[in-house]
Amino acid sequence: MSTATVPTRFAADFRAICGAEHVTEDPAQMQAWNILGIVPALAVTPASADEVAGILRFANEHGLSVVPAGGFTRQQVGNLPPQIDVLLFTTRLTAVEHYDVGDLTVGIGAGCTVAQLSAMVAKDGLFFAGDPAQPGRSTIGGLLATGLYGPLRHGYGGLRDYCIGVRFVTGDGRKGKGGGRVVKNVAGYDMMKLFIGSQGTLGIITSASFKLFPAPRQTRTFVAFFPSATEALQFRSQVLRSPLDPICLELVSPQAHELLVPGSPAGAGWSICVRAAGSETVLARYRTELGPAVVREMEGANEQGFWRALEDFSLLAAERHPRSLLISMTLPVRDVQPVLNEVSAVAESNHFSFAAIGRVGIAHLLISLWQAPDAEVSLVSFVNTVSGLRNRLPRDVSMAVLHCPSEARHHISAWGPMPTDLESMRAVKMALDSKDILNRGRFLF
Amino acid sequence: MPVNLPGLVEHLRKIAGRDAVLDRPEDLMLYEYDAGIRKSTPGAVVFPQNTEQVSQIMRLATALNVAVVPRGAGTGLSGGSIPQEGGLVIAFSRMNRILEVDVENQRATVRPGVVNLQLSEHVAHLGLYFAPDPSSQKACTIGGNVAENSGGPHTLLHGVTVNHVTGVEVVLPSGEIVYFGGKAAESYGFDMTGFMVGSEGTVGIVTAITVKLLRKPEKIATLLGVFESVDDAALTVSAITAAGITPAALEMLDGWTLRTVEAFCHAGYPLDAGAVLLIELEGLREAVEEQAVAVTEVCLAQKAREVRRAKDEEERALLWKGRKMAFAALGRVTPSYYTQDGVVPRSQIPAVMRHIGNVAKKYDLTIGNIFHAGDGNLHPLILFDMRNAEQFERVLSASTEILEFCIQCGGSITGEHGVGMEKRDLMSRLFTEEDLDVMISLRNAFNGRDILNPQKIFPMPRMCREITGPSQNPVLMQEGM
Repeated sequence: MSTATVPTRFAADFRAICGAEHVTEDPAQMQAWNILGIVPALAVTPASADEVAGILRFANEHGLSVVPAGGFTRQQVGNLPPQIDVLLFTTRLTAVEHYDVGDLTVGIGAGCTVAQLSAMVAKDGLFFAGDPAQPGRSTIGGLLATGLYGPLRHGYGGLRDYCIGVRFVTGDGRKGKGGGRVVKNVAGYDMMKLFIGSQGTLGIITSASFKLFPAPRQTRTFVAFFPSATEALQFRSQVLRSPLDPICLELVSPQAHELLVPGSPAGAGWSICVRAAGSETVLARYRTELGPAVVREMEGANEQGFWRALEDFSLLAAERHPRSLLISMTLPVRDVQPVLNEVSAVAESNHFSFAAIGRVGIAHLLISLWQAPDAEVSLVSFVNTVSGLRNRLPRDVSMAVLHCPSEARHHISAWGPMPTDLESMRAVKMALDSKDILNRGRFLF
Repeated sequence: MPVNLPGLVEHLRKIAGRDAVLDRPEDLMLYEYDAGIRKSTPGAVVFPQNTEQVSQIMRLATALNVAVVPRGAGTGLSGGSIPQEGGLVIAFSRMNRILEVDVENQRATVRPGVVNLQLSEHVAHLGLYFAPDPSSQKACTIGGNVAENSGGPHTLLHGVTVNHVTGVEVVLPSGEIVYFGGKAAESYGFDMTGFMVGSEGTVGIVTAITVKLLRKPEKIATLLGVFESVDDAALTVSAITAAGITPAALEMLDGWTLRTVEAFCHAGYPLDAGAVLLIELEGLREAVEEQAVAVTEVCLAQKAREVRRAKDEEERALLWKGRKMAFAALGRVTPSYYTQDGVVPRSQIPAVMRHIGNVAKKYDLTIGNIFHAGDGNLHPLILFDMRNAEQFERVLSASTEILEFCIQCGGSITGEHGVGMEKRDLMSRLFTEEDLDVMISLRNAFNGRDILNPQKIFPMPRMCREITGPSQNPVLMQEGM
């Protein structure tokens, strides 16, 4: 493990900004906060956007590299950082900026966890549609920066659809904002869009505002099994063409099903899980419309548990198969079938097994690939699997490697080709973080 | 800048064709205004037919430091397509093809000059449509919708333009052609597509757009809630939101406006009402029926005199005709009107409606209200006569007072029309100097000389400081330009 060192005179400066108790250099603690083996020199936990700006201005002036951190659930994603001078936690930025129950909007500090926000609004019968893995640890800032979403993306849209305002500090230490607290607003540039999914490379999000939704009074999940992905996806297309308007529409591969529902019979097949919200009358209509393909219905705790597990798919897969690849792909809906065929072919030729889930109505797939039990899998197989996939993907598909064995990390880029012009993205980065202090080396540049 | 124009026009003709450039004063007059209140005459208008020509035009304009303003149908209300005096307008009426309809992916790729409603009509036989539906949808272009991030009545449920654009082809001020996004709903990397939408043409010129197409709902219910007063109707809007019902559209017309509209197009609005709410619900048949019952109950509980429901498509079309023709109807009773676009949190609608009433009294003006109540997006229409300069001053003061009230209660100065030239000076009421500085550094990353759509969005003194002198491009000087 490598360690970075920041001369102690800098630590004193950070103490002056945030208070001594909110700056730590404790070696054991820093070791625990390593990112892909790189140990940060110190950690600061500012209490306000002004303190964040103070830290970033200082870091900018001295060319220190800064890594923003929330609940530490996704810090191992991305390329290897060359060095981390400052780990900046947003966890003290938890103030509620506004909560307008009648307007169905809320503005909250970036350090608040998704579970805290969900619990707060649930008391008023409202619902926050963000559904990342580990909601008890995932923070709002991290959710936005990583552009994470789960199965609810199908029915409620993505963060880009319901995040209505954002406040941030740019890499060069300027406080900025986009949007506001009303649900419709086109004044000024849409900074929310730039920050969502920017992987913390443009600025540090300090708070954000969201549209909320009325909590559904009841939901039910209809599960249909098919012998092949092809047939499952045909059923998916049938649902998409129907008048039904489910909140989740998920594909689950046989291996994934076994991961999500331990003890479930192997070889149950590929399933399509349709989660619907509405009255008994509405749910009855779903039953009729979906027809005899549905062999299982879930509701209540059973149903909650299933979707909770599905949101945590990446964790479950990594726990079961520590030496595995976790791949995330966004793609046009029509490409799901050909891409799954490619995944299957590449996995087979490199002696991997795979489990896949995905929101196949909007087309986002999560795929875990691991060594088949009887195969000898080397580092090269991991590298070949990733490059094999990247070479075969149709245009408009973007693919990220969220997890791979640590020794493979040097040989596998976390982010492949992207449909968006790289030089334009570089121009945006330079405009907000010209010295490249934020998450240096981890994302695009 | 006009000094360079003779040479510029010749170059433009070489790029786009002899018949693709206008420079006679009588032709240019048609391009000096939009649907707002400002005017400024361009030095030339060019009609490119493809992206390569747009790129060449941008290269030329950048080299000559000629201000460029892209223009769709000129239906904008914020001055977004107003040219700089003597500058160049790139008009997109000849880039108006629907390039691709991809049914399985529910995407269409269109040129910016495609008219909004044309796209929905083009895909209607497939059971699909394009959701953003500005009132000007029979005329406005999708390129313009992208620039201003336009809305419309049905954006309450489906979102504004940005929620429906997944990819764009862009010509940057440098002339470079770049691509952001594609057919996938989202992709890794910065969301440059989302950033482009609503940047009001200050970052680049969009030359092709990939949009989502939605499936037509199985069932639509259109209700008309009739109220004795604006206050009762306004309280009902908040109550519907609070009851957890999201209609597809929730529009309000006040008594004065509905009577004006009714006289013009006989939509069937009750002439003696204080206000009406036009409420549309859509989705699965069973869900729509339940919501229709719930909405009716909320309306009646909030003292609605009656709630009517359109029996068939014909009645529905009639109710909407009144809404969509409202602006035309106003033309019969006033020489001019000024439309505002402020937004308030939905719970503040009763308060803001009272405020607008007081402002009308204070400045002795007639103000009609017809607006997207469901998302708090106001459209107060202030009547005036351009020939009465003193009255126009009162109109501007009243308008500012209304927008300041919106800002005070946590709202915004524009919900769907854009900032343009009209509201740029109010931006510093919504954003700090530093907030604006961050946005301007992004604009400068692409459009550093503020050559593309100059003087839009950002407050003026700041803009003036940043405008640089004419360039001395050696290549063009050799060419004698």
